[in-house]
Amino acid sequence: MVQPYDNVMLVGCKGCVTVCNAGGLKEVQILASTLRIARKKEGRPLKVEERMLERQCDPEYIEQLRDSFDQYQAVLSMACGVGPQFLSEAYPGQKFFPTVNTRFMGGAVSHGIWEERCAGCGTCIIHYFDGMCPIARCSKSLQHGPCGGSAKGKCEISKDVVCIWDMIVRKKMEQGRLDDLRQYRAAKDWRTARDGGPRRSTREELVK
Amino acid sequence: MTATFEPQIVAFCCKYCAYAAGDLAGSMRLNYPPSVKVIQVPCTGRVDILHLLRAIEDGADAVYVAG
Repeated sequence: MVQPYDNVMLVGCKGCVTVCNAGGLKEVQILASTLRIARKKEGRPLKVEERMLERQCDPEYIEQLRDSFDQYQAVLSMACGVGPQFLSEAYPGQKFFPTVNTRFMGGAVSHGIWEERCAGCGTCIIHYFDGMCPIARCSKSLQHGPCGGSAKGKCEISKDVVCIWDMIVRKKMEQGRLDDLRQYRAAKDWRTARDGGPRRSTREELVK
Repeated sequence: MTATFEPQIVAFCCKYCAYAAGDLAGSMRLNYPPSVKVIQVPCTGRVDILHLLRAIEDGADAVYVAG
């Protein structure tokens, strides 16, 4: 990505990518140093300016690069996918590159291991399933029970993926509430998910 | 690389063991190559990946953590 350039800025984000060790100050310093070493070895030194923004998903922080963004041939964002987009919207004349592959909304199940927990579908049904989300955690997002690929509590796609339906049914049985799953429910409204197209959220009292 | 190539090595040494050993070697008038540059750290736990990267970035051929 940065092969053609010899002077770039690498911008980290102090938000979510900092707490998940993907694009915080430490990762910015390591990537910048690694890039400089690699390019020095090639005999084509690369200047990498290291910057941090409070967040890259709010225009007031993006604005802090106003006086420096055009001093570089390209800008690399170490935020989630929102970062390079907010940056390129604010500074149309500059080239922006992503440096992390943003994958999912999740949490750290143990130190250094993250798992997906939320699919952002916009109509939450976690309470039907005793706090476990089959939309995000079932490989097929099934809402009515496990499929034939469930074996010994694991999903057929990988031995590292639990069958969330196995967990849901087990918990319902333990708590004597298996009958909850017999209830008929209206079809889920997928218009609030990606199926309804790109989404926008408005808090009217915050809009000027 | 020529036969005379001698790598420049930055050694991060723990104050309480490796650095103390180096000190003792000094008092015993033992030599070690001048291409090894010793940096004292309070504990090797203080060594960070950035110290290692920065050393290489600034021209070291290798880094050495001793403790």
